[in-house]
Amino acid sequence: MITLSNVTKTVRSGSEILTILDDVSFKIPDGEFVAVTGASGSGKSTLLGLIAGLDAPSSGQIWLDDDEITAMSEDGLARLRSEKIGFIFQSFHLIPSLTAFENVLIPMEILGLPGVRDRAARLIEAVDLTNRGHHYPAELSGGEQQRVAIARAFANSPKILLADEPTGNLDTKNGQHIFDLMKDLHHRHNVTLLLVTHDAALAAQAQRQIVLADGRVVSDESRESGESGESLIA
Amino acid sequence: MKFIFNLTRREIRSSWQRLLFFFLCIALGVGSVVALRSLIQNLTQVVGNDARALMTADIEVGSTNDFSPTDIATIEEVIARFPIVEDRNEVITTLSMARPVDPANESLEFVELKGIEPPFPLVGSFAMSDGSPFDFKLLENRGAVLARVLLEELNVKVGDKIRIGEAEFEVRGTIDDEPGGSSGFRLGARVFVEKKAFDEAGITRNSSRVRRRILYRTSDNPTELVTELRAALKGSTVQIRSYREQQENLSAQFERTENYLSLTGLLILVLGGIGVWNVARAFVEQKRKTVAVLKCLGASGNKIITVYLLQILTLGAIGSLFGILLAQLGLWLAAWRFAEELPAQMSYTINPSTAVQGAVLGVLISLLFSALPLLQIRTIKPKLLLRDENNASISKLDWTKWLFGAGCLSALLGLAVWQAGSLRVGAFFLGGLAVTGAVLYAAATVLTILLRNLKRLNSFSFRQAVNSLYRPGNQTRIILLAVGLGAFVVITVQAMQSNLVREFDLTRNNRLPSLIFVDIQKSQIRDVASIIEGRTGEKPEEVPTVRARIAFINGQPIDYENREVRQQQGQIGREFAITYRQELEENESILSGEWWSSDGPADIPEVSVEERMASTLKVSPGDSITFDISGRKITALVANIRKIDVRNMRTAFVFVFRPGPLEAAPQSYAATVVNHIPATDRQRLQREVLDSFPNVQIFDVADILEAVNRLVSNFVIAISFVGSFVLLSGILILIGSVALTKSQRIYENAVLKTLGANRRSLATILVTEYGLLGLLSGLIATGFAVLLSFVVTTYLMDIEWQFDPLLAIGGLVITTLLVTVVGVAASFDVLFRKPLATLRSQ
Repeated sequence: MITLSNVTKTVRSGSEILTILDDVSFKIPDGEFVAVTGASGSGKSTLLGLIAGLDAPSSGQIWLDDDEITAMSEDGLARLRSEKIGFIFQSFHLIPSLTAFENVLIPMEILGLPGVRDRAARLIEAVDLTNRGHHYPAELSGGEQQRVAIARAFANSPKILLADEPTGNLDTKNGQHIFDLMKDLHHRHNVTLLLVTHDAALAAQAQRQIVLADGRVVSDESRESGESGESLIA
Repeated sequence: MKFIFNLTRREIRSSWQRLLFFFLCIALGVGSVVALRSLIQNLTQVVGNDARALMTADIEVGSTNDFSPTDIATIEEVIARFPIVEDRNEVITTLSMARPVDPANESLEFVELKGIEPPFPLVGSFAMSDGSPFDFKLLENRGAVLARVLLEELNVKVGDKIRIGEAEFEVRGTIDDEPGGSSGFRLGARVFVEKKAFDEAGITRNSSRVRRRILYRTSDNPTELVTELRAALKGSTVQIRSYREQQENLSAQFERTENYLSLTGLLILVLGGIGVWNVARAFVEQKRKTVAVLKCLGASGNKIITVYLLQILTLGAIGSLFGILLAQLGLWLAAWRFAEELPAQMSYTINPSTAVQGAVLGVLISLLFSALPLLQIRTIKPKLLLRDENNASISKLDWTKWLFGAGCLSALLGLAVWQAGSLRVGAFFLGGLAVTGAVLYAAATVLTILLRNLKRLNSFSFRQAVNSLYRPGNQTRIILLAVGLGAFVVITVQAMQSNLVREFDLTRNNRLPSLIFVDIQKSQIRDVASIIEGRTGEKPEEVPTVRARIAFINGQPIDYENREVRQQQGQIGREFAITYRQELEENESILSGEWWSSDGPADIPEVSVEERMASTLKVSPGDSITFDISGRKITALVANIRKIDVRNMRTAFVFVFRPGPLEAAPQSYAATVVNHIPATDRQRLQREVLDSFPNVQIFDVADILEAVNRLVSNFVIAISFVGSFVLLSGILILIGSVALTKSQRIYENAVLKTLGANRRSLATILVTEYGLLGLLSGLIATGFAVLLSFVVTTYLMDIEWQFDPLLAIGGLVITTLLVTVVGVAASFDVLFRKPLATLRSQ
């Protein structure tokens, strides 16, 4: 369960104070697929970053299950991310000095898991990149890079998957493929999926849609959805 | 841990090329430290840290005068009480002229003559050129053994005869090395003859440049014997040295030299460290995203810092090992370049313990200089993946960083102290480095601010070039500091050399005499003068000289019990050549007291004392000095203290008497020739004088100056060699900086190309940018080099300083060209990148 309670985030821009998120509160039960939409600058990415503990709110609290992440230290947050959260970015953010395979290995190695190479190989295979595993990010296309990022996000079997415009830098075909992959993983592993997107069509496939405007939640609607696909990752 | 090791390995795999300069900076620094330290250690080993071998005995009883019968009796009485004395011999040394007997051979050489008697040597051995053992029979019946080089210089062969003083000697063999070694500064090559023959050759008769030594070998620690001898010979001018005391002095001296050289190495290593700091700083900047991703994936800041620290540690260690290889190469290079000047048996391999020390230094410097930049990793927040903003909290005072900085500085001080072997020297080194760095950095800042005004110029390329020097993350001042410092060392050394060489250049310096004749008897002076005049057309200046020793100062004997005084015993206790004259010489000036007037009373003997001797003797006008002149005591009143301008020297007398009291004393004459005559004429003149008056000693100033110049030139080459390493460090930092800012340059070029700039204007920008950088480095280096050479030559060396425009312009042009060529060469490929690929990847 993700719980946000009166979360506000302000930043200083020169002499001005900008409010990016303004008193945001909601709960997301385990296993739910939520799309967060809104205009550019509405605070979507910041919201995702705060839930992942990448930044701290100016006020308010955030809980992941029973852990209040707003009260945790940097290292505590790192540990939490390592164990519970997978993150997918719009611009992939793979480590350029590591191969695709090694990028997938990294989260498991951080956690100190055993038998990580086999699992990484399975993940790479699941995102259809078996022959590209030894390539560096710079040698992969955008779609391929995002598939590596998804494999990496699932490496530690997270409970929560946060995706920040994961298809924003991809063409329609590749975008759909990535979306299908995420949705499949969500279904198969009962992962909570929080997707930030501009794409109304993608958002429409979520079980719930939260709309942000000027840092405030202007709409929060649940709907029935539930396409299931073939399992990609065992 | 597995994560740390795996990531370290992978990071090294992908980043080693970018960190190549890091690696090279460390390698160069470690190479310098190890090479310099090994060089001096090997030199110490062969020159002999072994004072016993250098002395060729355990105890030496020496004097610049003949031993008086009383002295001999005293010495023998003490020696007889010590059964540890196993053996003894006597040696006598002086400077003399050697010339072939063959009249057709006009060669003439200044030699260091040594008369020996068996058993010689008591310690050590000869290395004969033909490999045979030395046999004293070679010297019997007027035989001589010569340093091999003399055969060529005198154009003689074994079996030929040479003349030294009044005697003829047959060349019976040559040596490559003598007991005690043949290193050190010498005016002439060594000639060994029998001591008996030495006395018979008449060389010692009138010369004050003879040193007699009685050498003893003992079977046990001679300290007590030395104490007894000193007590027994109290008040005499006889000096007693034991190898143990010498050993301590020598060891301390070599250790000091080694430590100073190591500091020079450390300077290069610290410069390498600046390079490391620079690379690490840019590296962390480039790795910001990777660090953020790793933090996002759950890695803690400490884990990530450990990864990069391990990476630095590994590269530092590999760099250090490479540096050790470089040191070995450097030693081979030194062998190739300086083999003739260095002792023949010198080894050119590096010392294992020195290599280990170098490697430790390299790794420590890598860590110290990269610690602060790596600490920056803590401030990188994962949120930059969502919104790239400069998230370093600049305004907040970062105590950890300051504490770390202070820690690094203390550690660096520790390293300097370790290398210098002294807290004071280490602190001075670091302080000096900081001041030099700060001054150069300030100069670089001022110049770059001045340059900013040039942005108003019309030329697009020029404006862009100036802009490039100010781009965010620019390395301009660091490059100016590093390259400027290297070029500064090289140019300063060259500037000082040009002043020194000019000072000693006889063909340009007419104030120095070309020949000095001494020990001319009163009966010979007229004939010698006429020979000189016949050959040179110049009437030589004739100066009467009287031999005297100091007996008392203010009625008191000199206190040789005082250690300080004993150290100067050779200087005070020797026989002086003193003169008398009415007038002050042109090159002399009075510091205190008054020069005598021509009409004043002459009945009280008055003496003028040279300033340095006056301070050694602690006398001032009004004091008295009693001289012993052939057994007769003359007490003279110190009338004045005199300064002699040695640059203008014809003769330099420490003591000058007022005419009167000395005129009746036994005296000889000295004559000086000022005209500069060709070498062959000088040689003929010397031969002619020696053929008629073999007792006369002749100093060919040109020969002496040549030896000095050779020495100076070797020093200059050695310092320039080290200086060029400093310059190389600077160049490495330059290349490193170019590599680090390359992505930025590629991006800028892509944008400029998209906006319509052609390759030619981009090339102009590039050349102008590095040209300006080079010009500024050159200005800093030359400016400070000129300033320092002026200060050192004028105030420390006390010689005339002259601005050398050729050197200044040369230094400026070469530095500019060097920086331009290196900078342009390192970034030239940027011009050929296609803009689309660059822009898409941003």
